[in-house]
Amino acid sequence: MAEETKASVEKETKIKPPDSGAEFNEVEDLIYRRRSARFYKKQQVPEYLVRRLLETARFAPSSGNAQPWKFIVVQDRKMIEEMTRDVVAFCKLACRFIDYLDGWNPLKEWTAKLMQRLMNNLLHPIPFAALKLIAEEKLGLWHGAPTVIIMLTDKRCPGDPAVDVGIAGENLVLAAHSYGLGTCWVSFCTPLKMMPKWRKRLGIRYPYKLVTSIALGYPRGVPDGYVTRETSAIDWFAEDGTFKVVY
Amino acid sequence: MPEHLRIRDRLRIESFKKLGQDVTLGAVEIDPAKCTGCGLCVKACAAGTIELVGKKARMRTVFPICHSCADCVAICAQNAIQMKQFLELKKYFRYLDRGKPEPPRRF
Repeated sequence: MAEETKASVEKETKIKPPDSGAEFNEVEDLIYRRRSARFYKKQQVPEYLVRRLLETARFAPSSGNAQPWKFIVVQDRKMIEEMTRDVVAFCKLACRFIDYLDGWNPLKEWTAKLMQRLMNNLLHPIPFAALKLIAEEKLGLWHGAPTVIIMLTDKRCPGDPAVDVGIAGENLVLAAHSYGLGTCWVSFCTPLKMMPKWRKRLGIRYPYKLVTSIALGYPRGVPDGYVTRETSAIDWFAEDGTFKVVY
Repeated sequence: MPEHLRIRDRLRIESFKKLGQDVTLGAVEIDPAKCTGCGLCVKACAAGTIELVGKKARMRTVFPICHSCADCVAICAQNAIQMKQFLELKKYFRYLDRGKPEPPRRF
């Protein structure tokens, strides 16, 4: 046992961080290239691959090693369609109250803005727009992906369960990308947790909470590539006591 | 130090009816000469912002909001799409502490 540990330490020390300005290594390249896939082939992802991916999620770090996740794999196309239909119906219903862009109704806009204040994460302008698009069926929910992985958390875990699920999911997503599979995070499945039918069928009840889902499949086209995006400010308290902001 | 919201900003929510004033939509530039009309960008768009008109991709200028994810730029095999403008929300939902757009950098 002791010899084994020593050997692994020696192996570890052979790996060195890159020099300044060096080319990206494989892992960095993988991370930068991953884009969400929203157009999938009909071909189903074999069970062994999905199992292999879920294994990467299992070894994600979590607070207190509590592993507060629960994954539900749905490969039944009829069930995916049914879930999509129900979410679309939910979005349509929500739009009847808050979609102020159809017609002239000042009360609707007022209600919408009040709701946006009360549920600022759920009704941020971007999901707000997506709600309308999904209701009008201009935007798919899981984009025809053959496999959907629904992610639940255990509410009783230490720390913030959503963070742990996020970390596990990102492991899975990056591993999937390394196999050439396409993935897309879809949190618009959350209305399912409000429907008794799906709560029963998916087994969502205390202490489980539905958080998000991942669409998985073989992408059509090559969605991957480097892109440009805005930098964000990083506040930096340096070793010599100075302060700077870097971008 | 982090940027914060002023009270005035916190009281107001962006309206999609006031494009330009409350919200500046993201935008991409599609080169019609390079576009082959394969439609991959239409499918890749998370906001349904791109449409095919006469075998050429085109950006809708009205509601569906481009949130400048650049998935269309990445998927285009012809390199016909370029990011032109990034989404800006100007009141309560304003993005804070943002810098200039950059591709992945090697420090």
